[in-house]
Amino acid sequence: MSVSRTVLLGTVLAAGGAAAQDASGDAATGRALAAAHGCTACHVIPGLRGLGSHVGPSLAGIGGGRYIAGVLPNTPENLVRWLRDPPAVAPGTAMPALGLDEATARHIAAFLATLR
Amino acid sequence: MTPPESLADPLSRDAPLPNPLPRPEGELEELERIWRRPRGWRFVTVVNNNWIGTLYLGTAGLFCVFAVILSLLMRAQLAVPANDFLAAERYNQFFTVHGTAMMFLFAVPAVEALGVYLLPAMLAARDLPFPRLSAFAFWAYAIGGTAFFVSLFFGVAPNGGWFMYPPLTSKEYSPGINADFWLLGIGFIEISAIAGAIEIIVGILRNRAPGMSLSKMPLFAWAMLVFAVMIVFAFPAVIWATILLELERAFDWPFFLADRGGDPLLWQHLFWFFGHPEVYIIFLPAAGAVSMIIPAMVQARMVGYGLVALALVGTGFLSFGLWVHHMFATGIPSLSLSFFSAASFAVTVPSGIQVFAWIATIATGRPSLQVPMLFILGFLFIFVLGGLTGVMVAVVPFDWQVHDTYFIVAHLHYVLIGGMVFPLIAGVYYWAPSASGRRMSRRLGTWVFWLLFVGVNLTFFPMHISGLMGMPRRVWTYPEGMGLDPWNMASTIGAGIAACGILLLILDLVLHFRISNDAEGNPYKGGTLEWLPQGNYAARSIPRIHSREPLWDNPALEEEVKQGRHFLPGTVTGLRETIVTSPVEARPQYVAIIPGPGWGHVIAAICTAGFFLSLTVQLVWLAAAFGAVAIGAVVWWLWTGTDYGPLIEKADIGGGLRLPVYVTGPDSVGWWAMVVLILVDATTFGCLIFTHAFLWLSQAQPGWPPEGTTLPELASPAVAAALVAGSAALVWLSDLALRRGRHIAMAVLMLGALALFLGGVTLDLGTWWDAGLRPTVHSFAAAVYANHFWQGFHAVLLAMMALYVAARAFAGLIGPVRRVTFDNVRIFWFYAAAQALAGMALVHLFPRLAGSG
Amino acid sequence: MNLQSVLSPAGPYGAQIAQLTWLLFGGGAVIFGAVLLFLLVALLAGPRSRATLGSRRFVLAAGVGFPVAVLGLLLVHILLVGRAVSLPVPGDAQALRIEMIGRQFWWEVRYPETESGAGFVTANEVHIPVGRDVVLEVASGDVIHSVWIPALHGKIDMIPGRVNRRVIRADRPGVMRGQCTEYCGVQHALMAFFVVARTPQEYEDWLQRQRRPAAEPEDEFLAMGRRVFGEVGCGACHAVRGTEWTARLGPDLTHVGSRLSLAAGALDNHRGTLAGWIAGAQDLKPGNAMPSFAAALDGPELRAVAAWLESLK
Repeated sequence: MSVSRTVLLGTVLAAGGAAAQDASGDAATGRALAAAHGCTACHVIPGLRGLGSHVGPSLAGIGGGRYIAGVLPNTPENLVRWLRDPPAVAPGTAMPALGLDEATARHIAAFLATLR
Repeated sequence: MTPPESLADPLSRDAPLPNPLPRPEGELEELERIWRRPRGWRFVTVVNNNWIGTLYLGTAGLFCVFAVILSLLMRAQLAVPANDFLAAERYNQFFTVHGTAMMFLFAVPAVEALGVYLLPAMLAARDLPFPRLSAFAFWAYAIGGTAFFVSLFFGVAPNGGWFMYPPLTSKEYSPGINADFWLLGIGFIEISAIAGAIEIIVGILRNRAPGMSLSKMPLFAWAMLVFAVMIVFAFPAVIWATILLELERAFDWPFFLADRGGDPLLWQHLFWFFGHPEVYIIFLPAAGAVSMIIPAMVQARMVGYGLVALALVGTGFLSFGLWVHHMFATGIPSLSLSFFSAASFAVTVPSGIQVFAWIATIATGRPSLQVPMLFILGFLFIFVLGGLTGVMVAVVPFDWQVHDTYFIVAHLHYVLIGGMVFPLIAGVYYWAPSASGRRMSRRLGTWVFWLLFVGVNLTFFPMHISGLMGMPRRVWTYPEGMGLDPWNMASTIGAGIAACGILLLILDLVLHFRISNDAEGNPYKGGTLEWLPQGNYAARSIPRIHSREPLWDNPALEEEVKQGRHFLPGTVTGLRETIVTSPVEARPQYVAIIPGPGWGHVIAAICTAGFFLSLTVQLVWLAAAFGAVAIGAVVWWLWTGTDYGPLIEKADIGGGLRLPVYVTGPDSVGWWAMVVLILVDATTFGCLIFTHAFLWLSQAQPGWPPEGTTLPELASPAVAAALVAGSAALVWLSDLALRRGRHIAMAVLMLGALALFLGGVTLDLGTWWDAGLRPTVHSFAAAVYANHFWQGFHAVLLAMMALYVAARAFAGLIGPVRRVTFDNVRIFWFYAAAQALAGMALVHLFPRLAGSG
Repeated sequence: MNLQSVLSPAGPYGAQIAQLTWLLFGGGAVIFGAVLLFLLVALLAGPRSRATLGSRRFVLAAGVGFPVAVLGLLLVHILLVGRAVSLPVPGDAQALRIEMIGRQFWWEVRYPETESGAGFVTANEVHIPVGRDVVLEVASGDVIHSVWIPALHGKIDMIPGRVNRRVIRADRPGVMRGQCTEYCGVQHALMAFFVVARTPQEYEDWLQRQRRPAAEPEDEFLAMGRRVFGEVGCGACHAVRGTEWTARLGPDLTHVGSRLSLAAGALDNHRGTLAGWIAGAQDLKPGNAMPSFAAALDGPELRAVAAWLESLK
């Protein structure tokens, strides 16, 4: 839930611009990006304030999970792959491809990895 | 040496003290025995004002604490944006219960309790004139208030806001019983407020110490008098509004539903016609208390006593002209908005007079910073700030911005906490010694003050800013990124600090407040009569009064009173008595016998509560049973507790004054109470007339009555009117019969009058029904039947009264002399008949004259 | 930058009220300071200053004379401000008319027909041209609501059975936020909307885009979304112009993909949040009129509907 996605996204990207160059993502940037992309519309995410949606699973502990969506082993690379295009990994999934770019997906994946 | 006794005015300063020494053996002991409070489990039957007042105040304080707990939970939810501590529905119930409880279950009862507790002592009366009525009001309130809070635990607490705007609260959008719980809670407070108002008006005007003319009356009594009169004229609007809403919810009569000719704004006008005076109803007694505490704290007489009394009365008047300033955003034409703006400005003048009179009084004395004074200074700081934001919200364009935002939350809490809670706490610290004989802790009190002062300001000052930055009221959450986060966090921290202050206050009360008679005396050196030595019977003898601060002007007064050298030092009938004086000059008129402890009013209160509660949860049969027992209990209470008759010929109260112990007609306190009740009744009926006029104006466009309405012919209503007029004539005849000592004929005539009244009202009802009008179809029909509802309610009242009078007559308890009961019923009857005729004129003639259909 | 603040006005009416606000605060602060000063003098000063305060004359001067004079002046001033921020003369051809209807818990927004084209209905977003008076005509479809766009003007209630008017004007392009300010039920807190001020040309373009019917699905997946939309009964409440669905119980979705938010400001707007909202509307905003459709849709169907709605730009 945010007042203006555009405004928030702008600040986040400005802050995370440097870190986005790295191969692996930055968890703090990822946290802000997860908020800005409205992930809480479907998921309860520890550390993110949302309206409490249970459309998708709670992401508490996802960093310690063994599989992503019950399909892919939970590695950083696979998580990025999943975030960028979930239906490509699991055709039956309800989770849409949000059109995240590589850097954004990396940051978010880094954030999700911290949820143990 | 002294002039012949018959010429001396026993009230004059030069006359000898009314009663000589030594006092007869056992006089004081008998006084103590008669006024003793019941012990053990019979304590619930207690009626003494000092005990009922304390219970009342304690219960109000308890409800306040409950409401504070809700506010702390709400502040926890709002501490950070997008929080999930409380869900929306729960939050909405919390803010509704918080607001309703603070306004109705804490603020009004608390100041009323202060009046019940203090007034008799301050006026040197033995008690208020109708102690069982106060006790009944207290028990009904305590039980009803508890049920109201308990509804929270079942998730059925009201959730429509304390202002309960329809159509949100109409059946369609609030189908649950939540809204009915609100109406229940309000019902109790309506009963107890009206009962208290009657008690206080009659008590202040008729039970003052001999010689205490209006111009010598303490300012607190002035404030309570204005308070009670305001209740008489303000509460009927909310009583009427709640009746309409319940009729709409229960029977689908569309008063507020736009698609059937109703108007949601009707509710808002009625509600705020009550709701704005309500603010001053809460503030004025507190202001009166301040005007008592400051002179004692600085040991100087109040500067501008007359101005302040005038300001109290002026505030009372003006406050009835302000209600629309709660409705500036409803699209009302700008011309009337300007009027209400100006009226809202005008009310600052009497408040200003009081504030500067307090400052001037402080300037003339020697201030000492004891605990009550700290709270007075805190009050001035917070209240003046709240008053200034009050002027701001009277500015229409500014109000359009801040209305229903946190700015208003800040403003109203500044006014109510500053204007009522701080003076109340000052009063608790100031008057505690008059009850418990010693001061509460100065150290704890100082801590309480600073925690509350800092906490309250830290909680509410930031809300001005969060409101301007876009935070609306009554939101369970707010988003990140609006800049609201720091202000809300500050408010939450402040609330925590204030809560610590409240905890310490409770601790101090538990440790240091007792009701006992081992008085330290008058530690703050107050000049008014509540500082005389007090027992359950109040002062030993009733002093004659020549000034506003008798204890300062006559240092020997305390000793004289205690020795029993003033009026009525014992008892003359062996029952509880108090002196009744004339309303302006306070000259003794008679000695009224007042009832002691009893079960009737307690059972009546329990069953009244049971009645409303069962209705709310829709157990109709249980409600009927409770209702029947309640009526029986009321009859028992009245039968044993009123109209004692002329037990003795004359009572010698000293100073050569030999007074009757029984009077009827305009001199009796019962007659006064009935007149006040009739004023309440007539104001409610005024709201009924307003309902018709307002709906007519509001629905002028589609037409009101709606097109196709057939108004009944006038022949049958004319007969109905004749029947009602006939019933009044029969009551008039019954009076003649009673004067001739024919009490059975009187009873028969009165029963005949009842038959005529019932016939008239029923006939008119049938006329409309036969004309095909149905109340659920349109607001016009609903308003017509609302009149019948009201007249029917009076028919039931008259039926009970007539049967009661007849029973008393057959029991030989009514006669040519002993006729207070009869006279009270008689004047109520005349009123009810006039009202019924006016109601018929309203429903039949108004649509013909004004109708646009 | 605060999108919903009285103190950040974005147009002449908002600015005049903000100015009035500062005037009131300044005056209030001075008076408050003076009262505290009097109080301190009364408590602490020497006998002579205290004697001046301790008189009936002081009470009359400070309690009657001063407020009457100051409030008299203020009354004149606010009457002038009140007139300046009120509606233009009725029938002013320059003013643009937009209808807003409050519903639990969202806003229906109607653009009436003009010379430049047909009228249309949208939701939760008001677009206005800068530099021009816009008259909001507000009404209610159920209970009382109140429209508040603090950057532009004060609030005005939406009352069943009445139409109220408030004139707004923005003097530069930008986005502002508005919110419901009359408690209207369980989700009153989640009833917001955005106001988008555009240059006259951009505004005209926006109008033209909004007048068009919904775009035809560009690929199979979007076509599936459209089909599922009908199958699960979305059309029972929602209208999409250019299709068979015309119901008015919920927001018009013809160009839902072009809006800044979903669920009246509660969520951002893209296929992800659309999917979350469709599947879990009762999780996100319990008590609102839209059911959670998770039970009726499998994963690909949910994605398809969300994608199709997103494509309705």
